[in-house]
Amino acid sequence: MRSNFLKGVLTGLVLSTALSGAAMAEEVFLMDGVTPSTTDTTVVPAGAFAKEGPWVIGMSHFGVNANTWTVQVAHETEAAAAKDSRIEKLIILDAAFDQEKQVADIEDLIAQGVDAIIVQPVTSTSANASIEKAVAAGIPVILHTGRIESDAFTTEIQGGAEHFGKVMGDWLVEQVGNDGKIWVLRGLAGHPEDTNRYNGLMQSLEGTNIQIVAEQNGDWQYDTGKKVCETLYLADPNVDGIWSSGADMTRACVDVFKAFGAPIPPISGEGNNGFFGQWTTEGYESISAEYSPSQGAAGVRAAVALLEGKELFKHYDYNPAGWDRDRAAAAYRADLSANVWWPSELPEEKLIELYGN
Amino acid sequence: MIAFLRSGFSTRRSRNGLWGVPLVIVVLLVAVLTLATEQFATRENLFNLVAQAMPLLIAAIGQLFVIIVGGLDLSVGSVISFSTAILSLDAPAVVLIPAVFVLAGLVGLINGLVITRLNVHPIIATLAMQYILLGITRILRPVSGGDIPQIIISAVQGSFLGLPMPVFWGVIAIGLAAKLLYGTRFGLHLFGIGGGVAAGMEDAARNFGIRVDRNIVLAYVACSLFAALAGVFLAGRIVSGDPNVGLLFELDAITAAAIGGTQLSGGVGSLHGTVLGAVILALLANGMNMANISPFVQTAIKGGLLLAIVGLQSRKKMGL
Repeated sequence: MRSNFLKGVLTGLVLSTALSGAAMAEEVFLMDGVTPSTTDTTVVPAGAFAKEGPWVIGMSHFGVNANTWTVQVAHETEAAAAKDSRIEKLIILDAAFDQEKQVADIEDLIAQGVDAIIVQPVTSTSANASIEKAVAAGIPVILHTGRIESDAFTTEIQGGAEHFGKVMGDWLVEQVGNDGKIWVLRGLAGHPEDTNRYNGLMQSLEGTNIQIVAEQNGDWQYDTGKKVCETLYLADPNVDGIWSSGADMTRACVDVFKAFGAPIPPISGEGNNGFFGQWTTEGYESISAEYSPSQGAAGVRAAVALLEGKELFKHYDYNPAGWDRDRAAAAYRADLSANVWWPSELPEEKLIELYGN
Repeated sequence: MIAFLRSGFSTRRSRNGLWGVPLVIVVLLVAVLTLATEQFATRENLFNLVAQAMPLLIAAIGQLFVIIVGGLDLSVGSVISFSTAILSLDAPAVVLIPAVFVLAGLVGLINGLVITRLNVHPIIATLAMQYILLGITRILRPVSGGDIPQIIISAVQGSFLGLPMPVFWGVIAIGLAAKLLYGTRFGLHLFGIGGGVAAGMEDAARNFGIRVDRNIVLAYVACSLFAALAGVFLAGRIVSGDPNVGLLFELDAITAAAIGGTQLSGGVGSLHGTVLGAVILALLANGMNMANISPFVQTAIKGGLLLAIVGLQSRKKMGL
């Protein structure tokens, strides 16, 4: 009897501790649309990385100058760090999509004795060894915008690329019907984000008779995307819908159909200001999958929470719903250049300074 | 020793080039970085620096062999990526490691034969090989991943006698290249062939009885083998096969050789200069990280410095 009573008390204590821990972890705001993973609720215990400020936070960016989105991630990170007076210095190192450089960059950040490291992995394996080194040195590592195969990091915020591709794919299936013919505009060949977004599309197409009549890499670039669409249109203009992996390829492909005076088929897109402006003005059928550059700011907030000694979940998901035209129209800013990506947390003065027309 | 150091600054005709210029730059960079940042001269950072410099240093040594004969090898980066992809395949290390070097040797052999027998310009021949290998590598490993044999990971990330393993990779690569370039007739002939090419007398070496085509082919084989060695090192460092890891490595390797006083027209260059060139590039990358220079300006600084350093070593200034 006594044994059962003690077991009950102990179970209650364990459960209440776990639940209160979870509640504390849930109190930390990282970013709109970011939620704790439902499949793995591992918790980073409170106080594990607590440290008095001021702090130096390092970031290994996978490639600052790759495109306008990657540049904005760096700006969002800088803006979030600038808001917190306890962050004495933010060091952003650019791996330029080079695995070897990312390994070196993280080693350099460890050698500089930073208090936390934010990593955007170049590939799923690129940073494993150096991340393990950082954690072994007592430095918390926050991952975002890319998964790694190692479990050594401290916490991660991951927008699923499959989810991104599937949001677009599900919408396109609705648009073209069960027997439609589609083009697939992929991103950069060999890049995990491209492969995973494409895998999301494949999930959407399962069980349908939709036929991919053309599949090309547009490298997520306007110029390459335009060339690809021109070639595909001249080869055979009969297409019911286009799955574009995003970035600037959608705007480019729409411009091709406009140049040929042809009706614009349903085409998926991604949330940049130029695309939103075109979509709003032209009124064609589209959806915008969300992948905000503000994940850079979320990374800073996660680093700060860990250094404050707060409890965090180890895994956070960022799988928002797609945007329709009304939402895109509300976000669109005619006074800013095509290169801003939405949603953004950049302060108004920074938006004007960096992107004002 | 003093005479040797003095030769690095000599404007008299020398097949070693003005390698004293990169030596001064290395000394200055080390001094500035030691004074400007607290962390640069730490043991941990210096060990990091050796590991960071090593793949480029090895690839640049290979590139030196073909530049000396007036050639260029643009397939170096693809050989590196290809090597990491091979090593990430599901097979025992005793099969994979020899396979990497046999295949790389074959690549060099094809490059050399296409250049010498078919008279295709080195840039075109090796550019074509770069594309061919890139395609094959992406078939083998479309995205980064796979497992690298543990023996390679330990040989790259471990330590021996208190020193990090990359130090020993450097000693072996430099020692091997020194033996080939300065301790064999093959090395002597490479300089002879390159000197003739640079002077517009392609047949000069042949007239002296040197087997020009054979030596040029061997230079390309050596270049590919060193690239493969760099690939093996990189595979141990990134612990995966990556179809893109070697991208632009060929250009960095050429840059390192050029900074080290190697003349791209052939006949002039040195192993020590090339090593210094690779060290400068590694110091720049590491130093700019340590000095917290914005990623937005790092690339521009690197380009400007390269232009300045190479500008100090023009052929004319060397009396050639």
